Amino acid sequence: MPKLSDWVLISFLTLSAHAVALEQIYQDPEVFISDAFGTRPQPKVLWLTSPAQAEIARILGHPPTQLRQRYWADGIKSVWILEEIGKEEPITAGFVIANGRIDHARVLVYRESRGSEVRYPSFLRQFKDATLTSDAQLSRAIDGISGATLSVSALERLARVALYLDRLSRRQ
Amino acid sequence: MSILRTATGVFALTFGIVCTAAEPTLEEKLQILQQEIDNIKAQLAKSPPQQPTQPANAPAAGANAGATPTVSNTTVGGYGEFTYNKYRNTDVNNNQADLRRFVLFFGHRFNDSIRFYSELEFEHAVVSSGDRGEAELEQAFIDYRINDAANFKAGLFLIPLGILNETHEPPTYYGVERNFVETRIIPSTWREGGLQLYGEFAQGLKYNIGVSTGFDSGKFDDPAFAIRSAHQELQLANANDLSVHGALNYRVPGILAGAGVFTGNTGQNGASNAALKGVSGRLTLWDVHAKYFRGNWDLQALYARGTLGDAAQITNALIASSGNPNLVAPKVFDGWYTQAAYHLWKKGDMSLTPFIRYERFNTQQEVAEGFTADPLNNERVITAGMTFRLHPQVVLKADYQKFRTDSTKDRFNLGLGYMF
Repeated sequence: MPKLSDWVLISFLTLSAHAVALEQIYQDPEVFISDAFGTRPQPKVLWLTSPAQAEIARILGHPPTQLRQRYWADGIKSVWILEEIGKEEPITAGFVIANGRIDHARVLVYRESRGSEVRYPSFLRQFKDATLTSDAQLSRAIDGISGATLSVSALERLARVALYLDRLSRRQ
Repeated sequence: MSILRTATGVFALTFGIVCTAAEPTLEEKLQILQQEIDNIKAQLAKSPPQQPTQPANAPAAGANAGATPTVSNTTVGGYGEFTYNKYRNTDVNNNQADLRRFVLFFGHRFNDSIRFYSELEFEHAVVSSGDRGEAELEQAFIDYRINDAANFKAGLFLIPLGILNETHEPPTYYGVERNFVETRIIPSTWREGGLQLYGEFAQGLKYNIGVSTGFDSGKFDDPAFAIRSAHQELQLANANDLSVHGALNYRVPGILAGAGVFTGNTGQNGASNAALKGVSGRLTLWDVHAKYFRGNWDLQALYARGTLGDAAQITNALIASSGNPNLVAPKVFDGWYTQAAYHLWKKGDMSLTPFIRYERFNTQQEVAEGFTADPLNNERVITAGMTFRLHPQVVLKADYQKFRTDSTKDRFNLGLGYMF
């Protein structure tokens, strides 16, 4: 009579034989952009001058590695697709900014081993209507997720960068 | 290199046509382009020619990610902590300063589904035959990601019991020292070699189920730490008896509620103590835990309980082989704690958070008939102190611990921790 541990082992082997690898892509960035506008506007480019690079470095804790940021805008609305590493791997997130406030945010691609709960709408809804304070912080507190500390922190930083870039794009 | 400059210049001119945002001056643009060229040069100098610098599942080309650091398929991370313990009673205890842990993570992505993770730990700064330092692998496993509902890991991994065991970097918990319940009842940092299936049933509801190596009761040598001294850490682990584990956790913003169980025989066919041949010695360890952290409050509670079958036979075997009459294996061991923290002050990345924790644990709640438990193993501890975050990943900690059973252990602790 096989023991319980033997049954578990057999079940694993059976399941793994049917495993199909999938990427953790939750939404194609192109689709996110199209959804935000209804159609896909021409991309624009924001040149990150030295003061802008310094401010982004202050928010992220490291300088941006690309110095021209592509974005999409139409009237009061702008869309930013950004990436930041949580612990080991980059998280790709999309932010829609309207009138200087976050309209909505979405995790598009998640690659970290732990913390994928940041993709839940219940977490991302907290960013709605957040603005950027004078010291480049979010205007509202974001509740974390147990075991996802670094992913939560990465999303917060990206939200701040998105708001900053939106402000910058309208100032120029 | 002139080709690179020319190509960049052509690209910049072409790109400029489609740019509709308000422009910086030509001089600023040239400076930015020069910076980008310098970055590319530095990147080329560091990377082998055919080494990819982005993960295979990077977003579509249209999604330009201006804030992304360069990512290699091989990653390095780590955490560590420095501690200082000052006892009230220095006749019994020695004040100590220690580089408690220095940990490095190494990971490698083979493709979008298969990755390797490892955690290499050095304890107490120096590892040699004449020192108390240890070098150990706390994790080394292959992770096979399928989808959100079902994934596998195989190798040496952390057992998903309690809150601390899987998330134990110093900035993630309060107190200089890890709590007693999750070090003596749940033997954090607790890892086993095996195979685990994990994923989500529904949004926020995560499960783990696995089969792994287990404990060897013949190796038990410290009743003050319950079953901890019988763990094997995949060091030539006796695997005549395997164990199974399962956990269910509900994680949403501000809330964690979960439970876990681990069970398996520990006799190991008498591999480390011949008197245990044929003895099952079934160990079952379980816990329930909850965490609420919304606004400025951070509240947490946990209860854990373990039972060990054949405790009389195990104790007899241990005493016979060691000659130590105090080597009494527990029949039941348990503990619980409750903790409250409040984010008193925040400015940017910095914050100050006082906390208080009360815990009660007994590593010999019950022993086999005819044996006596050590009363010092039934302890209650109050810990009060604060965490000062210099950065979300760098913390300074200070606290005072009051032991109700053995007051000679009362102490003041200081700590510095980090993770990256």
